[in-house]
Amino acid sequence: MRAALGSSGLVMGAFAAVLGVLTTALGLARRDRRIMNTGRQFTYVVLAGALIAAGAMEWALLSHDFSLAYVVKNHARATPLLYTVAALWGALEGSILLWALVLAGYLAFTARKFRSRAGDPLVAWALLVGLVVATFFFALMLGPANPFKVVSGVVPQDGLGPNPLLQNHPLMAIHPPMLYLGYVGFTIPFCFAVAALVTGRVGEGWLLETRRATLVAWAFLTAGIVLGAWWSYEVLGWGGYWAWDPVENASFIPWLTATAFLHSVVVQERRGMLRVWNLSLILATFCLTILGTFLTRSGVVNSVHAFTESDIGAWLLVFLGAAAVTGLGLIAWRGDRLRTPGRIDSPISREGAFLANNLLFAGFAFVVLLGTVFPLLAEALRGQQLSVGEPYFDRMTVPIGIALLFFMAVAPALPWRAASGDVLRRRLAGPAWAGALTMAGVAAAGARGVAQVAAFGLAAFALAGIVRVFAVGLAARRRADGGGWFHALAATVAGNRRLYGGLVVHAGVVVVAVALAASMGYTTKREAHLATGERTALAGYHFTYLGAVDHDTGQKRTVKARILVERGGRRLGVYAPALSIFPNSAQAIGTPSVRTGPLRDVYLTLVSSPDETGRITLGVQVGPLVVWLWIGGGIMLLGTAVAAWPGRRAGRRAQRVEVSTRPSPPPAEERLEEAPV
Amino acid sequence: MRPRRLRYIVAGGICLAAVLLLVVGGLSRNIVYFRTVSEAVNSKAKDGTARFRMAGAVVPGTVERRGDTVAFKVTDGNETAEVVHHGDPPELFKDGAPVVCEGHWQGATFASDRIMIKHGSEYRPPKVDTGAGTK
Repeated sequence: MRAALGSSGLVMGAFAAVLGVLTTALGLARRDRRIMNTGRQFTYVVLAGALIAAGAMEWALLSHDFSLAYVVKNHARATPLLYTVAALWGALEGSILLWALVLAGYLAFTARKFRSRAGDPLVAWALLVGLVVATFFFALMLGPANPFKVVSGVVPQDGLGPNPLLQNHPLMAIHPPMLYLGYVGFTIPFCFAVAALVTGRVGEGWLLETRRATLVAWAFLTAGIVLGAWWSYEVLGWGGYWAWDPVENASFIPWLTATAFLHSVVVQERRGMLRVWNLSLILATFCLTILGTFLTRSGVVNSVHAFTESDIGAWLLVFLGAAAVTGLGLIAWRGDRLRTPGRIDSPISREGAFLANNLLFAGFAFVVLLGTVFPLLAEALRGQQLSVGEPYFDRMTVPIGIALLFFMAVAPALPWRAASGDVLRRRLAGPAWAGALTMAGVAAAGARGVAQVAAFGLAAFALAGIVRVFAVGLAARRRADGGGWFHALAATVAGNRRLYGGLVVHAGVVVVAVALAASMGYTTKREAHLATGERTALAGYHFTYLGAVDHDTGQKRTVKARILVERGGRRLGVYAPALSIFPNSAQAIGTPSVRTGPLRDVYLTLVSSPDETGRITLGVQVGPLVVWLWIGGGIMLLGTAVAAWPGRRAGRRAQRVEVSTRPSPPPAEERLEEAPV
Repeated sequence: MRPRRLRYIVAGGICLAAVLLLVVGGLSRNIVYFRTVSEAVNSKAKDGTARFRMAGAVVPGTVERRGDTVAFKVTDGNETAEVVHHGDPPELFKDGAPVVCEGHWQGATFASDRIMIKHGSEYRPPKVDTGAGTK
């Protein structure tokens, strides 16, 4: 019943996608606005089909319908409600269904947003491309990744339940949807990029149409990555948050190219340059999301996330190849129209800094991509199994990260076209002093590591620069309007939300960078064998083992070690890292116990449960500033929201007004260039 | 105009080549090969003290804890290697467990500092029959 409902939803979605493609193509061929409009409306049917299918799956999960193979594999009667709902994206078939649902949602939203421009070939082509992508994902579900496969034989009484790792923390319910909202969101700018190439309207139009979509997708991807790191830290119990795991990288590489894109579009908007580059970046971002899906879902890599293995790998690779070849072919075909009218006058200018930033981001993405796919290539070409060690990633990416931090500090102060020494001195002297003094300060305070000292100094440099821009804007606003600081702040930000939102994102990056440098450089850890009553010490903390508590539910055996944590003779509480063993599985799932603080986290793990002599192995770790990683991620999201939130002026026409005529009073960014500050 | 453009291309090419060299160099220094015990024994002379991962199963009855190290033998059915692991083995380390040890040859023994327990990606809780039901 539910299987039939779900399958019909899939068939409906697939048919609507194909019909939408054909109708839109017909409309484009005949230049008939009405036919194109009909094609546009098929996106709503696709969404309805995806909703029916996803709804049927949730219904099946919630009603314990074990006639479905997917439900048997990913759900058990004892599974709590949250993880039951989350089981939709717990395995391959369901996550492809989620992918299709999110894509259908974005497409329908786009179709609605551009409803008054249904006859515009740019919009029609964009929707056509989107529907082709949707067709592919629905075909996946009707073919090799069918979520509604029925079990053969007798219907089991109970299911296996989700993978133990996936039912250990509520973050599991949010992290994958966030990641997918980000991943899939980049399909929209990709569709418009292809549409721009096909129609030959390769100017700035398509960028403006998709600006918000790109920002929203970027924000979701950022949130997904940060939440993933957090989940890894809270659940996996190895004490870290990022392991350069192939699947972590799969989400990070498109983030890098997308971040580069967000910056380089500004250059195209302002100066009309970098057209090929921008098209290539968005094309690359889309292809990398497909590659990421391939890495995550085809089981080709060994990773904590490779929960499923299947034969959809070949399908995804073919689709990836088709997307890349189409995109590159289109760019080559439109080569003559993509010549840029402008050129970079001086390397010391805003566009010069953006270019450097883009090269660094692209290099970053290349380094991580190479390290991620190299084992696959080596195995495919030479039949050798190998892995790329973490030191490769650390050694390669840390210098790039520091260089990026430097450009992030300097770029907002550079004017467009060319900078005079005078302007630079006025704008950069203060922040540069702040950076230099910070470096000297932390070095004097005994900070170890060149990378750490550089990161702290550049973070201070960047932060001081951000504060300076805010202060200048605020002061100008107060001179003009009078009124209180708070009012002036609101008015300043509202006057140029892209600038100030972007700066808030930068502030978030600064916080993340400091937290990364500190936690990577100054985390101390040790393991200790402890009998009951014995204690060990680390970084001024004392840990006393009070005893273990055993808890057997039949499905799993959990051992909790009670550890008293003290510092300077003060009791900080009893923490209980645990270890769960699932008798039929070779997996022991550790549950770390973390004492989070603003300055440092104390991270306790039970490495092994009491042995014959009653001794446990306890892992203790003291990591500075870890919590600021998550806070920094939150600040980045806040900034993105400021920049992308639809304001009162938002709407189809207002966006254009915003570019053609500058709102008055002129944004502070402009004023910075002329006013003697 | 033209010579200037050429200069840009040459400069860009040199930068690109330098970056590639750096990346490939970094990559080749940090590759960790994955070998079975037989492969590891066969390429012992060639490997020297290079790090790699060795996969096999713990030979029952050979595990011996000595202070901070654990000594045991691993086998893949054909060859057997002696391993000395520095540190504490993970929870599920026991006789017969399928393990991956990361480390390098040190004389006749394999000095490991990281043990991973290999496990299938499919998780099976107890008391549940898959596929065809039993009740």
